[in-house]
This record gives sequence, C-alpha cells and structure tokens, in this order.
Amino acid sequence: MRELSMNYKELGLKVGLEIHFQLDVDKKLFCDCSSSMKEKEPIAIVKRKLHPVASELGEVDVAAQFEYLRNRTFFYEVFKNESCLVELDEEPPHNPNEEALKVALQIAKLFNCRIPEQIFVMRKTVIDGSNTSGFQRTMIIGFDGYFEFKGKKIPITQICLEEDAAAIDREENGNVYYKLNRLGIPLVEIDTGVIEGFEPKEIEEIAYQIFLIASSTRKIRKQIGAIRQDVNVSISGGERVEIKGVQKLSLISKVIEKEVERQLELIKKGEKVQKETRAAKEDGTTEFMRPLPGAERMYPETDIKPIKTEDILKNLEIPELLNKRIERYEKEYKLSKSLIESLLKTDYFFFFEDLARKFPKIEPTVIASVLSSTLKEIERKEKVEIKLKEERLIEFFDALNRGFVFKEAAYDILKKMNEGKSVEEAVKELGLIPLTKEEILKIIEETRKEVADKKKLIGVVLSKVRGRANISEVIKMIEKLS
Amino acid sequence: MDIYEILKNKGISIGDKIRVDSIEGILMPRTEFVENDVIVLKMNNGYNIGIKFRDDLKIELIEKKKEQKLEKQKHKEFDPSKPTVSILACGGTIASKVEYKTGAVFPSFSPEELIEAFPEIGEIANIKVRKLFDLFSEDMQPEHWKIIAQEVAKEIESGVDGVVLMHGTDTMHYTSAALSFMLQDLPVPVVLVGAQRSSDRGSSDNRVNLVSAILFAAKGEIAEVVVCMHESSNDDYCAVHRGTKVRKMHTSRRDAFKSINISPLARVNYFERRIEYLTANFKKRDKSRKLKLDTNINPNVGVFYFHPGSKPEFLREMSKFYEGIVIAATGLGHIGINPGNDKLAKNFLPVIKELIEKGIPIVFAPQTIYGRLNLNVYSTGRILEKAGVIGSLCDWTIETALVKLMFVLGHTKDMNEIKKMMLTNIAGEINERIEYEL
Repeated sequence: MRELSMNYKELGLKVGLEIHFQLDVDKKLFCDCSSSMKEKEPIAIVKRKLHPVASELGEVDVAAQFEYLRNRTFFYEVFKNESCLVELDEEPPHNPNEEALKVALQIAKLFNCRIPEQIFVMRKTVIDGSNTSGFQRTMIIGFDGYFEFKGKKIPITQICLEEDAAAIDREENGNVYYKLNRLGIPLVEIDTGVIEGFEPKEIEEIAYQIFLIASSTRKIRKQIGAIRQDVNVSISGGERVEIKGVQKLSLISKVIEKEVERQLELIKKGEKVQKETRAAKEDGTTEFMRPLPGAERMYPETDIKPIKTEDILKNLEIPELLNKRIERYEKEYKLSKSLIESLLKTDYFFFFEDLARKFPKIEPTVIASVLSSTLKEIERKEKVEIKLKEERLIEFFDALNRGFVFKEAAYDILKKMNEGKSVEEAVKELGLIPLTKEEILKIIEETRKEVADKKKLIGVVLSKVRGRANISEVIKMIEKLS
Repeated sequence: MDIYEILKNKGISIGDKIRVDSIEGILMPRTEFVENDVIVLKMNNGYNIGIKFRDDLKIELIEKKKEQKLEKQKHKEFDPSKPTVSILACGGTIASKVEYKTGAVFPSFSPEELIEAFPEIGEIANIKVRKLFDLFSEDMQPEHWKIIAQEVAKEIESGVDGVVLMHGTDTMHYTSAALSFMLQDLPVPVVLVGAQRSSDRGSSDNRVNLVSAILFAAKGEIAEVVVCMHESSNDDYCAVHRGTKVRKMHTSRRDAFKSINISPLARVNYFERRIEYLTANFKKRDKSRKLKLDTNINPNVGVFYFHPGSKPEFLREMSKFYEGIVIAATGLGHIGINPGNDKLAKNFLPVIKELIEKGIPIVFAPQTIYGRLNLNVYSTGRILEKAGVIGSLCDWTIETALVKLMFVLGHTKDMNEIKKMMLTNIAGEINERIEYEL
C-alpha cells in the first residue's frame, strides 16, 4: 500500500508544468496542408540523414553527435493532403497560419501574459529526426503571465506557438520511421513557473484549469495524443527531473507521486538523485530517457518575417472564460456537474449552448445528454465512428423541437442519420412516424380491454407508443380517461 | 529616431546583455523587416522578441559582450597515398557554424573548418581550399567565369587530381556551361557543387553533395565540367550532370538539378562511397592531357522571351544593348510572323531580318526546355531559318545557348563563322540522340 499521508509541503515538492495542446484549426502552421490526420496509408517514403551542426566552440560535442547520427537513418512517410514539400524540408515555410496565431494570442491574453510587440519565429535544434529540417520552428507569443487558483497566483512563464513534431512509427536497427502527417500541426505550449505548496492532486487540478482556460478559445483538440504534458518534479535533497510525454491530464498526480517516491527511495539509500529526463509510461511510472539537456539551441528562422502584434491585437476578441461558462450552464440551464463534465469531454461543449438557445422547447438536459452520452453510446455499441456534422445535429434537434421525433428514439434515429439518412428517412425506416391523438387514444382503448391495473396500463401503453409520442402527454391522456 | 543609435550613445551595442524593464536578454541585430523603434532581444530562454521603445522604458546595461576566442584547429597531414582535391569557393555557404548565443551564422572556408564539419572528406582526399569570392549566385557575372576558369586552370596545372567548385545554386548551370567551353581538354574532373538547404541546419544537403563531389573529383573517371547534386529527395545518391546539359528545374527541392535531353553521366552512392557510370560516352580522366584554357567571351548577349503580346519593337530595342540575341521560342522553334495578315497578330520577321543584316546573330532555344528544335516542320520555321535564325536541330537549353553565343562572339564577328561554330558540338551541348526513356 502506498503511504497516503505523505506531507508534500514538508518534502518541499516543487513542480513545473509544460502543457502542449494541438490547436483545432484546419491547416498546419507553416503550410496549407490539412491538419486532420485522417489518412492511413503513406503514398511515399523519403530517406534522410541528419548531420551535426557545428556551433560556437566548446559548447556542443560535435563528435558525439556525429557518431549518434552516423548510425541513424530516418524514413519519412508522406501522406496525401497532409504533407507537402514544406514538411519534407523541400520548400521554405509559408507565412504562419493566421488563425493559429490569433488563437495563441487569445490564450496568452487569457493567461494575462505580456505580449511582445514583435514575434520572432525561432529554430530550435532537434536531432532525433522528429523534424525533417533538424529544428523545430517555435515562437514566444506571451510571457510573464499568471492565473488564479484557490486564491493563489500560478505563474505562467511563457506561452509558445510551435509546429508539432512528426510522430515516430517504428524503429528497427537504427532505421527510424516517422509519419509526416503530425509534423507542422499548430501546437501551443504553456509553461508554468515553479508551483509550490500544493498536493499532487491539486497540481493535477491546476493542469486541468490550464486546459479549461485554453479551451475557452474553442480551438483546443481533445483527442488522445493532442494534449501532452511534461512535468518537472523536485523535492528537498533531490534534483530536478523532467518527465516527458504524460499523455493524460489525469495521470499527472500519479506521475508526481511516483516520482517523489522514487526520489525519496534513492535518498533513503544514500544515492544521489540525477538531473535527468524520464519518459512517462501509461501506468504513471517513468523510465530513464537521457540526461537533462542544456540550454535550448536556438537561432532565428530567417525565412519568416517577424510578426507585428499590434494590429492583430486591436481586433482580437477575448473569449469568455470557460469557468464562467460552466457556472452559467449550471445556473441558466440547470445542468448537473457530472453532465457538464461529460459534455466537456466531447467536441460539443460550446455547441450545446447554440442548440439550447435555438430550441427552447427541448429540455437543456436532454440536449446535453444526447450530445454527451447518446452519441458515445452509438459509437461504443455499434462500433462506428460518429460522422455527424453540426448541421446534421441541428436537423435532429429541430425535429425534436417540432415534435416530429421524440427523445426516446434519439439513439435509433441518430444511428440511422450517421449512416447518411435524413431524419424523415430514419423515421420511416424505423416505423417511428409520430402518432396522431386519435391513434394514441385507440391504442389506449384497446390496451384497456386487456390490462385493468392503471399502473400496468401506463407501462404497456408507453411501450407500445415508444418513440412515436410525447410520453408525458400520453400519461396525461390515460389519467384523463380513467 | 533609431533606438539602436540611442542605445549606442548610452554605451550599449549589439551583443551586450541588457535589461529592458524586467526582461533580460542580449541585444540582437535588426533585420530589414524590423522598424527603427523596435528593440530585438534574445531572452535567457533563447527566444527573440521585439519590444517597442517608449519613453518610460527602463533600459540598463548588465554586461558588455565578451569576445569569443576561436581555437585554431590542427592542420591535417598530407597523405601521399590519397588523391588531392582543390576546393575553390565562389560563394554560397556550403559549410557554416551557428553561434546559438546570438543566432549568428558564420560561413566556414578553411580546410580545417571544412574537415571539422565533414570529417569524412579527409578520409577521401588531401584537401586544398581557397576562397575566390563570396558571391550570391545571382551576382555572378560572365567576367567572374573567366576568373574561375583561370583559377581552376592554375589548380590543375599544380597537379591536383580534381577540382571542386562551391557555388550558389541559382546560376550554377550558367557557370558550368561557361567553364565547359573555357576549359577544353580537361585532364581531371571539375565538379560544381552547392546546397539547396542552408548549412546551419542538420538536414542540409551540403554534406551528401560535398562528400560526393569530392569523391568524384578525386576518383571519378569523367574529365569534364560536371555538376554534382542530389539525385532525388532521398539522402542516398548524387547525380553527376554534364555542365552544358544541366539545368536548375526547381526553386527549392534538393534534386532541383536535372540533365536535360540526356541521362546524367554518373551517380555517386553516398553511403557506399561508390561511383556508378550511366554512360560510356564521356572524356576519360588522363592526367597527361594538356588543358586548353580559352576565356575569350563577349558578355553582350541577351535573351528575348517570346510570348503572346511580346513586341517586335522591344526586340529591336534590345539590339542597342546586345551584340547577339537568344530567343526563347515556342514549340519546335516558332515566333509570330503573321503569314495570314491577321489584324491583331504581330510580325517579327522584319526585325529578325534587320538584326541579322546588322550582324547580330539570332539563336533559338526551346521554351519547352525539353526536346529538340526543328525549323523544317512548319512554314513559320522554314521562313525563320531562311532569314538566318540559328538553332534548328539543336537541343540546348536557353542558358547554354546564351553562354555558347557569348563564347562564340568572343572568337568571331563573322556571321558565317558564328553559325558554323554555334552548330558545332564543342562541349557536349548538343545531343544527337534523345533516348526514349529520358
């Protein structure tokens, strides 16, 4: 059993978070490729070597880099529509994606950052092959920011907009295969300063708050792999250890707890904790990756002009903070905390309000639960991918609002709609054409001949009209008759 | 108001560590895109930002820039068992160092620096390096070609086994054509090489290209002027192209250089350090052969690009500046002569005749880039050829036709002689057989 009563304050726990979010924009940061990552099969593979780059004397061990790279050959998988000559390092970058830039600036504003009057794109040297160019393009969008958590200011040291790296596919005998479709997707990195005086659970909440604040822009991707965090952990007597690639926010507290345990054990044994980078595994434990790297090796990206922020900021809308919206959903729409939470996990959190405003006759909780659970249920049970665009969902809720379909039939109708059917076609195929008053009365009368008990009667009638009538109206009709 | 001037008066210059309000960093130089009132600062985390100057901005000097001492590298010993290659640098930074502290990129030219950057070249050959000039490709002039040819001749006369020319890529094929005409009866290879990706990045094609070029100069059997660059987007092979048949065919790709209307002569396997020959049709290496240097050229030749809407008057105007004109003609070698007296069409025939009569040769080259001219097929072509246009049955590129005409006009002004020389294959610029698979 793990000690639950660890006193993290006494241990001098210090944590720093680096949280990466992919932005949900159509195009990549420095070219016009699609950022959708839908293609499965590569159309070509390009073979490349990377070479050490000499820098100012004495700083980099070129010889060691040379040996490392001599034994590695990189293979880049090219995907249609999702990689072009820019990803292949065969064409200079285009101008930065304006939408991504705006979203990043919105995020910087939401975190109360200082924004430079001119932004410079930098090249950060990376030689693991994850960037075809040998560097990652990155720019500081804001710095010296903060946000409040439990009455304390959490410092945000910097917010960067950068290109995501290519994802590794496989490695065999020094041949490393990368997929180019992820390379270049706009990525925002939010770095906190040192966070002290909090429990690991609270630090996880802080990370979640960062996610919520950034999500206020409506442009944060939530899929697995679209959010990644690095966690820096140290305790008194230990050392700063960087844990890379924590894939889920909900793993953060576990990763911190395990790392504190690991450092404590080393200290107990009288061993020295090494400054190092460790990789996070799925169970929250970590493994050694490499010694902690020195200062970033950065120099200017000369192919892209500096960006003046003044004019962009003039017309920049600052979105409502997500926390405020959550409060509103609770008060105005009477959604429960758990419903809000599951809605947050979907792509429809903001869309919910558009629907609730458009269709006042539908209970907001019905809209929220269709969006957060019915659609998920179809995915899970039918093993299909929900492809319904927002306008198709509007079509469904409009029918619900008009009384053409009923909430009990939501699962079946949406399933059909996902197969490409219109609401009308779905209703016809399922035999769910709404019953007229007369038809309902007829069913009640017929059933009454067989079932005498009123409670049972309601049950049987409801099962007969299910999905074809408004239940509360049917009950009222039975009540009236008896 | 230039904020950098104000800072200078305060004793702050580029490279100094300063504090602007609460932000610490190194004062960086400004590029042409940054306005006068913006301070560019490299923050401690390595990022550059621009801060607009205001009167209430507090700027303090923290530390003056420290001068960096460059360590001298040891000179590599001469190894008599290895071939010797001379590298002449004409520009284009095929090797450079990055100073991450300031973000500055410095070109490297000494043999020590080159061997430090590319240790494997020392394993291939003894290396001599000389810088001729440091020019952007687009600043290269015909007069520079003469200097390069003379310097290459000097190196060859000193007995080296091959010469490598580092050159910017944009006009590399003009230089390679010019050298092909100027350096006749070469005993050893002369290899032009460049890079399409800047040398400060780990992905630069400079290494594969330079190593392959040096290997070819040292051991290649082809004693001609050639261009050695990436064969495909992969970092595995370099193609070796004949200097008169090569053309830059892409703005940015590594494999931008292609042989036109002919196969590359050879390819270099970078991984195995092996040369594969793709033809036997070349001049073989022979160190006893005597090089013939002929740098007589007349740079007053221009190109007229014919297009719908182009004006005969402009072609006439060009003759005030040039003593010979290459016309980039359409299709098999056509420009408008309006045989049907169309109201809108233009007739170039009078001006063509007029210029040729004045002693200005008119040479055609194909706009299509690929394929051979043939002025016999349509009456337009036949009429133009009768008027004295040169180029029927030639498959040269526009650039090679231009350079050849400069070379020819450096030797004669007689129109018959010009025509004869132009149609004589001097340096493989005319390929008699275009094979199907090309």
